[in-house]
This record gives sequence, structure tokens and C-alpha cells, in this order.
Amino acid sequence: MNYDRPDLLDRLAAEYVFGTLTGGARRRFERLRRAMPAAEEAVRAWEARLMPLAEAVPPVAPQADVWTAIDRRTGGGRAAVASGGGLWTWLRPALGLAFGVLATLGVVRLYPTAFVPVDQIVQERGALPASYVGLLTDKDGVPTVLASSTRHGTRMTVKILRPIEVSPGKVLQMWALPREGAPFPLGTIPSRDKGEFTMSDTSEKLLSNVPRLAVSIEDGPAAAGTTPSPFILTGHCVKLW
Amino acid sequence: MPPVAELQDLLSRTALGDRTAFRRLYDATAPSLLGVALRILNRRDRAEDVLQEAFVNVWHSAGKYVATASQPMTWLTAIVRNKALDTLRGEARHVAYSLDDEAGEAARDIADERPNPLGLLEQAVDSLQIRDCLAVIQGSQRQCLALAYYHGMSHSECAAHLGAPIGSVKVWIRRGLDKLKRCLDGRR
Repeated sequence: MNYDRPDLLDRLAAEYVFGTLTGGARRRFERLRRAMPAAEEAVRAWEARLMPLAEAVPPVAPQADVWTAIDRRTGGGRAAVASGGGLWTWLRPALGLAFGVLATLGVVRLYPTAFVPVDQIVQERGALPASYVGLLTDKDGVPTVLASSTRHGTRMTVKILRPIEVSPGKVLQMWALPREGAPFPLGTIPSRDKGEFTMSDTSEKLLSNVPRLAVSIEDGPAAAGTTPSPFILTGHCVKLW
Repeated sequence: MPPVAELQDLLSRTALGDRTAFRRLYDATAPSLLGVALRILNRRDRAEDVLQEAFVNVWHSAGKYVATASQPMTWLTAIVRNKALDTLRGEARHVAYSLDDEAGEAARDIADERPNPLGLLEQAVDSLQIRDCLAVIQGSQRQCLALAYYHGMSHSECAAHLGAPIGSVKVWIRRGLDKLKRCLDGRR
């Protein structure tokens, strides 16, 4: 067969994608598309052309054991059983810079409880949720605020690692410091224990180009476009995935 | 269905071994893909096996996905359709060899509960706004296109199903594909 004829190649690609090229002819064409870029291109064009026909088919939810089998066959089960001492080894590549910073500062030893929720999540889901995490330190480098928000969520959760002094009537304002441009306000945080606030958009939208977070003391919650007072806390903001 | 860019992002993360992205890709696309496989195979267990094979394949070959060549859903649908067609035809051969034994009887006894695929084709034709353009392809010709694409019927199966000569079926499919191409490309 003369495969150099574009019309013939296109017709074969059409019947291949449509499904009516069968048996030996189908196998030969599969070999041809691997060897010949023009055949591969013709196949891609037909796949794109006929895709709207597939879109008319109503979706059917697979049973849960389909994913279980896929997960097992792609090595996913191993991560789920890691725990205790093994957890640290497994977490290290995922946490990357975040853990580098934390380990250097000894915060894991000083504040073990800060990691309990993460540990639980790992135990339950077999994976850390994709999140943005910030560790803010004071001017002496003492870790003071741990902030985290899931990648596609709008809630920022903060844990105050040591109480922050703030005069009555003032607020602690958290800022995002983008790679380029002016700092913008994210929300206000408490001076002790834990807290959370809702951001104006998802973390992914707001923080994907934000390498650092900071906290300042303000008279009230800062509006967008305002200039922050001097920062009392700053730290890296990293992607946890 | 999530936007194309999000699926592309999930695929590229999957290629880097990101299991969370892989799971999200599965959650976002598996129902549509299972729907396609189930039309072809008419058996849920077989269709779910194909889905499983396809995703194991995706985990290992996500790095081969080229964003400029295909949209993610097109790429995934092609993987699933090809596996489903191979499975269907592997089974067809098996049934043909064992028509006289119990396995063959059992296979033939499974009722075809799939709705007429012509309805799906009509729906696609309407959503693509190519009804007028495709008006020359009618009756058995149209039925034949729907059976071949949605149920994975071969030329000879279409011919047997519609009681038409195989030569006619081949001409119908070829003419139908030519016409589809002109109608679809004319929309761009």
C-alpha cells in the first residue's frame, strides 16, 4: 500500500480512530503511526475532530474498587502504610524547603503538636494535601506563626507558636509579599493560640507568586491598596506538593 | 469537566509522580471515560477493567502526553477507546471459537441494554450544529455510523445488524466520515 498518498493516509486514520479499521489492518496502522509522523498527525486530527461525538455519552461513576486497584498497581499503597519513623523519610521530599527551614530552626522539636494534624492527614489519606505553608519568624529568627491553606481553598489557618504582644485596639495583619509588586493584605490573625480567616480568593490565585508572608500591627484590618506598617514577623511561603 | 488548562496541569504533575494530581485527574475524568467504554463493551466489569488498564497506562506514560498535539480529554478518550475496542474484538474472537460451549451460550445471552446509539449521534449533531450539513447522511447510513462509533461495531457486524451488504456498509462509513470531516472542519 502506498502510504505516501495523503488522502489514503487520512482515510486510514479516520477509520482507525472511528474504530472500523480492524484486525491485521488495525495492527499495521498502529505500527505505521509510531513510525510515521504524518500518520500520527492524521490520527490526532481525527481524534480531535471526533471528540464531540464521545462527549455526547452520559458519564457513569466507576465503583470505588476501580481506583483501589489502580492505586495498588501504580505503587500507591506503599505511601499509605508509611508512619512513625518512616513518615519522616517519606515526608522529606514532599516538604522540601519548608522542612529545611523548620528543621534548621528546631521547630519540630520545640512544637511537635503543630504537626499532629498533618500526621493525621497523612495517615488517613496516604498523602499530604497540596497546600501553601508559611512559617513566620520575629526579628530574632524565632518561629512565631505557622500559616497554611490548601491549594484550592480560601481558608487560611494560623497557629500562633508563641504569643504576640499587641496593644488593645490594634490588629495583627497578615500580608502577602509577591515576587513583583506591592504587598497585599490577606487577613487578620489572633495574638495567641489558633485562628483562621477567609481570603478574597483561593490560595492558588493569591499565593502562587508569593515567596514571602509578613505580619504588621495596624489600627484595623487593612484594605487592599494600603501601605503596611513595619513588619514584625516575616517568613517564607512555600508550596507543599 | 474541569478546564483544559487544569487537566493539562494534572497530567504534567502526574508525569512527575504526583499521586494527588493523579487522583484528581481520575476523579475528574473517569466517569466520562467509563461511559465511553461501557457503550462499547456493554458490560460494566469489562468496562471498569478497561478503565483500570487505561489509568495504569496513564500513570506510566503521562510524560508522553504532548499538550500541543491533543487536548487532555481527547488523549485520554483515545486511550480508553482503543483499549475497549481491543477488548471487544478479543472477546468477539473468543466467542466465535466457543459458540458451541457454555461460555459462548452465556456470552450470547447477555442482553444488550444499551440505548440506540443513534440518539447519541443526533445529540452530538445538534450540539455541533451540523444537522443541515449532515442531512445527506440519513437512515441506515446514519445508523451505521452510530453503531460503529458508539458500539465499536466492525463493517461486518454493522452489515449483519442492519441486514445490508458489507460493501454498502463500507461505502456508507467512508462517505459518512468524509461528510463529517467537511461539516466539522467547516465550522472552524
